[in-house]
Amino acid sequence: MYITASSTISHHPTFRKKGFSLHLSELKPGSELITPDYSTFIPAMDRRRMSEVLKMSIACSLDCLMQAGQPQPDAIIVGTSMGCAVHTKIFLDKIISANQGPLAPTFFVVSTHNTIAGQLSLLLKNHGYNMTHTQNSLSFEQGLIDAMLCIKSGSNHILVGGADEFEETIYNMKERLNNENIHITSGASFFVVSNEAGKTVPVKLVDVESFGLIDDSSLLIKGFMDSNNVSAREIDLVLYCNSDQNKKAEWQMIFGHGKMIDYQKIAGTYFTNSAFAMNYAVDILSYKNHPAFAGEIHRVLVCNNLLPENLGLVLLDNKID
Amino acid sequence: MKIFVTGIGVISAIGLNAEENLCSLKAGISGISKSPLYNLMLGEVKLTNTEIIQMLGLPIEDFSRTTLLSLLAAKEAWGRNKIQGNIRTGLISATSVGGLDRTEKYYFEARKSKSPGTYKLMIHDNGTTTQRIAAGLGISGYIGTISTACSSGANAIMQGARLIEGNKLDRVIVGGSDPLALYDMNGFSSLNIYDQDMCKPFDERRKGLNLGEGAAFLVLESDAGISITGNTPLCMLCGWDNANDAFHHTASSVDGKGAYLAMMHALNKADITSEKISYINAHGTGTGNNDLSESIAIKNVFNDNVPPFSSTKGFTGHTLAAAGAIEAVYCVQSIQAKAILPNLNFLIPMIETGMVPETTFRLDKQVEYVLSNSFGFGGNCTCLIFGKVH
Repeated sequence: MYITASSTISHHPTFRKKGFSLHLSELKPGSELITPDYSTFIPAMDRRRMSEVLKMSIACSLDCLMQAGQPQPDAIIVGTSMGCAVHTKIFLDKIISANQGPLAPTFFVVSTHNTIAGQLSLLLKNHGYNMTHTQNSLSFEQGLIDAMLCIKSGSNHILVGGADEFEETIYNMKERLNNENIHITSGASFFVVSNEAGKTVPVKLVDVESFGLIDDSSLLIKGFMDSNNVSAREIDLVLYCNSDQNKKAEWQMIFGHGKMIDYQKIAGTYFTNSAFAMNYAVDILSYKNHPAFAGEIHRVLVCNNLLPENLGLVLLDNKID
Repeated sequence: MKIFVTGIGVISAIGLNAEENLCSLKAGISGISKSPLYNLMLGEVKLTNTEIIQMLGLPIEDFSRTTLLSLLAAKEAWGRNKIQGNIRTGLISATSVGGLDRTEKYYFEARKSKSPGTYKLMIHDNGTTTQRIAAGLGISGYIGTISTACSSGANAIMQGARLIEGNKLDRVIVGGSDPLALYDMNGFSSLNIYDQDMCKPFDERRKGLNLGEGAAFLVLESDAGISITGNTPLCMLCGWDNANDAFHHTASSVDGKGAYLAMMHALNKADITSEKISYINAHGTGTGNNDLSESIAIKNVFNDNVPPFSSTKGFTGHTLAAAGAIEAVYCVQSIQAKAILPNLNFLIPMIETGMVPETTFRLDKQVEYVLSNSFGFGGNCTCLIFGKVH
């Protein structure tokens, strides 16, 4: 199966900028999210009630569907760890301020984790399969696995993405990740996964795995490559993220002199930042000769170890069969 | 490919295990009562967190009640299953509350004392509550959480079946859990769909839902799984589907299009005609909108041959993300006991449809296929079909 469209909102000029992978750099302190003019995508009336994560997701989704030329996907699948966290916090505040008096349901109804996928179905008038995966740092990978299952059972085009928004009052991400030196932020990346290649350079989604409560990440990475008949030498680029700096050295042993880029430093930290990494990979793979790399890049592995107990693996290539 | 159900476990307001739940269903005893603390009709599980921690022999830690309820039900379903090296095993849970029961407690305390004190607020995410269930069962590998509001539990079950069918897993424990949270009590009250009396699904006088809490899990296995575990199948999961109503974020469409599509596709997946369904366990929350929309969708699927149907929410209350899982366990029990389950508090049929649910626990000659509906915010509609092992 193939990635036939992709769209990302991040701290970098990624949105509707093909070739954005040329212009990425590590996040600097004070760097902020670059958001598009949402009025192009969402009517003003609806926009006012929408949280950032919802607006980002809708813009990326509509952009993807336009790119793919598929106004109606067969399924809508969203991976989000925290869902509409900001609205959850607002409704908690409203409960306190109402002090058992009358309370408006506005923020309650749009705070469920599946608000994003639900609003997309409503906006598109889409009656298809609609799913929301919320497995913290593996939410996006599980969404991708779901999309692959849909394609395997006969669907043609699946809209799938990962999105999370910054909220630090009700959730202490630094404490959860046991790391003070991270740039916690928001982001959204959506894709169309199709059973056939698109018009542009075909990027193939080869395989995805999600492992929870892991013992040995290196062993799992090797097993994943074995099951896909790919050797470490054949991986041209590894986009990785981990909580433990020692892991990089351990993984470098697997890939020898292969190139490794820490995507967390570029995307910032949120639970679904591996979706950013996947679009980063897609953008690189859509070049025949990417100017930033010596030699051709044909195969990219995304290794997501944001939480030490979890490992997400995504393998992409641009080989033509 | 066949998907077998080989284990069930459930905890709700009407019982702490599967047998107790079935006894209450037989006896027609509701678990819903007026909570003096919250002044609401609630289906509470009559165990404190500390009591559950003691029952499970866990260390005194900051567990979300989502995890604690799950562990009781999941351990019952899991039974004597073991982790074997050559069988790919996963866990998929569903929750809408996740760790929010702890978050709201600490956040309200912090706001009262005017100190931020957010250091404890790191178990809010749903995934973490599921990881703790997996750790309690000794499962690693595919550990997932589905959150699609009130259809979550059914979706977790469907997801497990799809992972087996897609040759990703051989055995998977699937289900859902939600504890009562101030967040939801306030939320559903603010929507004016909370019945201050007992909820009355499918009754003309219905005024809304009552919240409940609980958890339920099922063990699903493929043929390959069973050949390794040697487990005896209780029944099969034959059909499933998720479709979207795409009508309104919280309300169901007049003709229940999403529900209709989910039921039709699930029948198609099970490869059976609608006449084969012996019993429908409806979503039936007791709200004006849901029950009418669901009734019309059922009529559109079954035409003049609507099989016996009921909502068991008059027993348990609406347990949100756990509902689809709890009701799936009831469907398995319905097949096992050859019984049609009753709908409590019903007196007057709806004017629009005149449909009358089953009101007594009734043994039938044959309960071959049972259909279970679960719907949620975001237009999310899921249908599961369980069937006898042939």
